[in-house]
Amino acid sequence: MLSGAQRIGLRVQELISQIGVLLTYYSLEGWLRFMGYRVRDIARVRAEFAAAAGRGPLLVCANHLTLIDSLIIQWALTPGWRLLARPDWFFWNLPDKYNMSVNVWIRLLGYFGKCVLVRRKGPPEEVRLSLDKVKYLMGRGQSVLVFPEGGRSRIGRVDTENFMYGVGRMLQDVPNARVLCVFARGVGQRVYTNYPRRGESFFVRVETMTPTTRHQGLRADRDLATQIIRHLSEMEQEYFAHAALDR
Amino acid sequence: MDSTTAFSKVVGIIKPFVKNTTAFSEANDGTRIIEDLGVNSARLVDIILAFEDEFGIEVDDDSADKVRTLGDAVQMILQKTAPAH
Repeated sequence: MLSGAQRIGLRVQELISQIGVLLTYYSLEGWLRFMGYRVRDIARVRAEFAAAAGRGPLLVCANHLTLIDSLIIQWALTPGWRLLARPDWFFWNLPDKYNMSVNVWIRLLGYFGKCVLVRRKGPPEEVRLSLDKVKYLMGRGQSVLVFPEGGRSRIGRVDTENFMYGVGRMLQDVPNARVLCVFARGVGQRVYTNYPRRGESFFVRVETMTPTTRHQGLRADRDLATQIIRHLSEMEQEYFAHAALDR
Repeated sequence: MDSTTAFSKVVGIIKPFVKNTTAFSEANDGTRIIEDLGVNSARLVDIILAFEDEFGIEVDDDSADKVRTLGDAVQMILQKTAPAH
């Protein structure tokens, strides 16, 4: 359960990040363009997202291969100006506290970029606190971008063996949340890296899904998380099947 | 069930998830499952669910969060399998 101060802290961060949304978004977009990154068929991706997103809290679940996947996904799914009218489409992120503590600029970026810092493999009470923050934010209609694998996949593909069950707990905490699976991958990406190669072109696909479970508690966490990971894996298989045909 | 039997079963369940085999060979009640044995925190859920299956108990989220050491796991299992008075 969040304290009053923690709730106020999140609301202040939400307000400040919304005030600075255009500056944050277009600064980052400028950097992404400077690096030569581009999203294939971005208009189609954004139209797919707008049609699928609707109203209410979204749990955006994506595969994970580089440190900037959340930036690429936010850029691919929404233009910056749209976030003025749809602040709920400016996703909250849950990056590793360690990665976001490199310097003061990264910390500031994390604050303005709506990040709730989490400690990977941290003690249960810290994990619980992060989940409580997600529950609070989604209860306010905000959307959250998560990587169900819990980190960058060490096998270069969606890891259907080693993944976290936290996304299942989030869904149980916020039953009205809708799940949006996003598969994003640089066409030249082979394994996990810190950054995509310069000039990378990204394939992005968006699909909704409705995971359900007859279980409760931890077993339900695992069941829901497994369904999401399998869906992402299926999207990946479809990508590689098409990539093989394109060759 | 006594604590020695419970400990032995707990160790058997955890064994496949252990990365630090040296610490595991010297495991005792105070051995921390994640920090000392190197068990992935996500797999801790699998271990708790294996406890449920093995001992026929139900473990809620709060109880699961309190399991840090092998001794914590044994105590939780003994409490949940103790006959009601």
